[in-house]
Amino acid sequence: MSEHPEIVFAGTDGGEVTEIDDYRAGGGFSALAKARAMAPDDVIAELESSGLRGRGGAFFPTGRKWAFVPKPDQLDKPHYLVVNADESEPGTFKDREIMLRVPFRFLEGCLVAAHAIQSTHVFVYIRGEYEREFEVLRASLEAMRKADLLGGVTIVLHRGAGAYICGEETALLESLEGHLGQPRTKPPFPAIAGLYAAPTAVNNVESIATVTSVLELGAEEYAKLGVENSTGTRVFSLSGDVVSPGNYELPHGISLRELIYDVGGGVPAGRELKAIIPGGSSTPILTADEVDTKLDFDSLVAVGSGIGSAGVIVIDDRCCMVQLGIRVSQFYEHESCGKCTPCRVGTRWLTQILQKIEDGRASQADLDLLLSVCDRILGKCLCPLGDSDAIVVMSYVAKFRDEFQAHIDEGGCPFHGESSLEGILAPSAMHAGHAHEVTHA
Amino acid sequence: MPELVTATIDDRRVEVPKGTGIVEAAQAAGIEIPVFCYEPRLGDPVGACRMCLVEIEGMPKLQAACTLTVTDGMVVRTAETSSKAADGQSATLEFILVNHPLDCPVCDKGGECPLQDLTFRYGPGNTRMTLSKLTFDKPIPVSPLIALDRERCILCYRCTRFSENVAEDGLLIARNRGAATEIATFEDEPYSSPFSGNVIELCPVGALTSTLYRFQARPWDIQDVPTVCTGCAVGCNVSATIREGKVKRVLSRNHPEIDRGWLCDKGRFTYPHLQAEDRITTPLRRGRKGLVEASWPEALDLAESMLREAEGSIVTALSGSETTELAYALGRLLRGGLGAHSAVLPEATSDALEAFRLPLSGIGEAEIVVILGDDPVVERAPIVDLWIKEARRNGAEIVTCSPVGAKQVEPGGAAEACRELAAPRNAIGKRLRAAERAVLVWSGPGGGGGARIAELAHELGFAGKPGCGAFHLPATANTSAVAAAWAAASDGDESNPEPIELLVVSGDEAAADPNVRALAEQAERVIVLTMFHELAAGWADLILPATGSLERDGTAMNLEGRVQRLRRTVPPPCPDELAWISTLAGRFGVELPPHASGVFAEVAGRVFRDLSLDDLGPHAPLPARHEYSAPAAATSAGPAQLSTFEDEHFVGALRLHRYRPLFSGPAVERVPELAFQRPPAEVELSASDAERRGIASGDAVLVRSNGTSVELRAHVNRKLVEGVARIADEHAGELHAAVEVVRAP
Repeated sequence: MSEHPEIVFAGTDGGEVTEIDDYRAGGGFSALAKARAMAPDDVIAELESSGLRGRGGAFFPTGRKWAFVPKPDQLDKPHYLVVNADESEPGTFKDREIMLRVPFRFLEGCLVAAHAIQSTHVFVYIRGEYEREFEVLRASLEAMRKADLLGGVTIVLHRGAGAYICGEETALLESLEGHLGQPRTKPPFPAIAGLYAAPTAVNNVESIATVTSVLELGAEEYAKLGVENSTGTRVFSLSGDVVSPGNYELPHGISLRELIYDVGGGVPAGRELKAIIPGGSSTPILTADEVDTKLDFDSLVAVGSGIGSAGVIVIDDRCCMVQLGIRVSQFYEHESCGKCTPCRVGTRWLTQILQKIEDGRASQADLDLLLSVCDRILGKCLCPLGDSDAIVVMSYVAKFRDEFQAHIDEGGCPFHGESSLEGILAPSAMHAGHAHEVTHA
Repeated sequence: MPELVTATIDDRRVEVPKGTGIVEAAQAAGIEIPVFCYEPRLGDPVGACRMCLVEIEGMPKLQAACTLTVTDGMVVRTAETSSKAADGQSATLEFILVNHPLDCPVCDKGGECPLQDLTFRYGPGNTRMTLSKLTFDKPIPVSPLIALDRERCILCYRCTRFSENVAEDGLLIARNRGAATEIATFEDEPYSSPFSGNVIELCPVGALTSTLYRFQARPWDIQDVPTVCTGCAVGCNVSATIREGKVKRVLSRNHPEIDRGWLCDKGRFTYPHLQAEDRITTPLRRGRKGLVEASWPEALDLAESMLREAEGSIVTALSGSETTELAYALGRLLRGGLGAHSAVLPEATSDALEAFRLPLSGIGEAEIVVILGDDPVVERAPIVDLWIKEARRNGAEIVTCSPVGAKQVEPGGAAEACRELAAPRNAIGKRLRAAERAVLVWSGPGGGGGARIAELAHELGFAGKPGCGAFHLPATANTSAVAAAWAAASDGDESNPEPIELLVVSGDEAAADPNVRALAEQAERVIVLTMFHELAAGWADLILPATGSLERDGTAMNLEGRVQRLRRTVPPPCPDELAWISTLAGRFGVELPPHASGVFAEVAGRVFRDLSLDDLGPHAPLPARHEYSAPAAATSAGPAQLSTFEDEHFVGALRLHRYRPLFSGPAVERVPELAFQRPPAEVELSASDAERRGIASGDAVLVRSNGTSVELRAHVNRKLVEGVARIADEHAGELHAAVEVVRAP
């Protein structure tokens, strides 16, 4: 599919490696052997020099996160590694494919990370709907246990119960402890007081799978891939109005144009590119004019958006931006945990105002109110969920103000029922069928 | 000396100990940071409501002040000096009000509502919400005592945190998610916790209201009168809300050393008994066709002649919940005016514990707490149970030596357990000796009214350690001081008259006590001082109407040994006892002031080492410890302990273990809304005793002793010691000490 080297999916040849012997034959578990021969701090140093940064959305340097975890001789408590496999961001579906296609690389990464932070307990918090992924991980873990590879480390696969908020690391920890999935206040940060108030590193699935690759290749070699500040490859989830949606592992720094047109086959014939959401539902939208923006951390910050969880959503000219706003806002309203006031109340209010605009009942003051409510949510919530809703709705208005204005001026949606959000931030008919099949597998 | 840090809040320098929260530091500088969800008594801050947003130099986003502590050099700006913070607070209030029904005119909270007050000060003056508000069914009966209005709820999670972190009952929960989040009880069961009423006071809006107070008053036509609860011996500080001469509710009046602002539901919700249907307001005397009303002059004449005729053969049954002044006045009349004779109290008392005084709050800081005795702490002194829970949350070791404790002790076996703890090799005893902060609690009958644990505390070396203390949890509110006042009323010796010519029964607890009733059967004539007709109608020759403790002036000494002041919160519907006792005493040549402050002045000199009422203040201090003196084998001057039923007939293999539940007694029985808190009609059996008899939880069983039986439901209690049938007093009827339990035919 592309001439770029695969790192996370290396050795799969477009397929999957779910037999332990196949994985070992391809050089599997060499990273683990290498790491276990190293002092834990040296593994952390290796990660730091690789430039690997978190793939869950916050892009925090993985090695530095581990360095924050106190050493066992500094704090006499158990240390935990928690892997966030609660992938729920609309437009992002990479972790599931990593778990399905390279389960051993992921689990090997768990053991490497556990060694680095000197932990003997790993919890993988996996999204409840990911039933097949869970089964694959369970079988792989069992194979590793039989092969005596765990080295005294316990890996617990914990299934979530279908809440987006449990992808927020402190809500995840609350849920893991058996409490209501609501975020905690920070500080203290999980590195100091996380799971059961003990030092905890929380990492994303892709980050952990990449850890294996970094050890295999060596930090220096790995850092040659990608661009400055955004080393290595990324598994981009490409979806929406594009000919070939799917997950594509590519180096950081390729442009949106390359991804959408060269890799993804462009927008379907007869339609025009209208907008792009570059990093999952919670990143601000870009216009078609910004299609030459490079997919790396700095480039996307420069255009006022973010690389987020690298879910690239392509939107063509059939899409009504107000309807898109409703879809996004409904999602955040539905997934708000209800703990803090601005998010719980504000997300619902935003949806109501957007619906009023879409229905043609809104006045100019309502558009001002919409932006004011966004502003009053922004930066005042306990966790980033409410902010996400506010920031993306603001970006839709900022980039497509004329369209919002037209709804008010024309007293209704200018698309007159011709708009389509098929496959945008939601499963398309094809994907919906797939999801159904997974659930009942 | 703790390390100090210096911060600047709204351009004011403030120096506070390291670890001080921003909200508290601002308060120290005279700056208010408004809050809804923040309540330090509920555990760690949650940062949910976002009312306390402030700007902190070096942080790009507004921060929830309640979740952060002050660091050295921190520069904080509140709404006062930061437009960003002001906008943040205004935004929070706008969001809170988006779905709030704004039904303030018909809301009980209106006028004393933090949401109203903070909106007035920090909020927007108008609403921009023109779309449909969220609506819920309302009001939801969370229990017969509490109504929940989900539309008014602002989801501060104070109530659920109280339930989870303070009462530890886990019954109140938040369910659903996001805008649909709602407060509920687990499985929609009634919120049945002895502490449920506290959530009403914690609620910063009108979402949780008292069903007893709903629509009863407006804050501008009520008065709050400070007094002290006499529901048990803790002596929680309370305020009674008065409207038009009636008590409309009881609120906490936070004494940080005693109750920390928490009340139990017995203290909070029993006030309607003052208006009970069978309340007596006129004296009643027995005529040929039963009881007839008598005028006060008639009644006093009759009382005088009954007393004169019985001189020398009078027994007085005290409740132990009288004010010290009332007990002393009765003592002066009956002992000073009529010569020596005896009195009985429900339990023995001992002043040996004065050497180990500690404020109750000291329990919360203890390293180790050992509880001895037959009764669960919550049934005798509920707030003590909260302090013990706090100690456990703070990491203390809690050892319970009781029929349901981790250390299984048979009923009546606590004194033996004390001796074991005192043994030099006892492991728990060693930890008690080593601890700087250790607490002993005796919860149950026996034990010489605290003498046994006083001896143990002395053995363990508590006297020299100010962080160590010992408590006895008596059955009634003022037992020790009543006994002491009675003893101080005369120098004469006690005698045990046989036969009893006259029994004087003081108060409702005594009147309701089956042991007192048994005594009455031996007496020729009976005078009863009671509030309720039903308690005395069948057996009294003269009934004199009593006042309730919310209607009395006086003092009471709580289980710490703290003397506290009761205030007359409403005028009683009948003359005060002290007034007519003074009149009556005069006829026997005894001079007594007719009011509490005068009696106190007299009794204080004899009992309280010349304490003055001014010393007590609104929040009474704990008197200093006294030198330890070994308790006498038996108290000679004070009233005797009432003997319980004789154990003559051993027909069964199980020992009856009666206990007095918190929610029992004449006042509780007169509040129908409290019925759900009362113990079910059941007998508790250990798992092995139940198995041996083929009995499972829920089975109908017959509890039999010689000549009498009671039908109850079985409850298999896996924590209960073997060989015991545990039954609440009110369901145990006249069962003897040895019982057998069989499945009902």
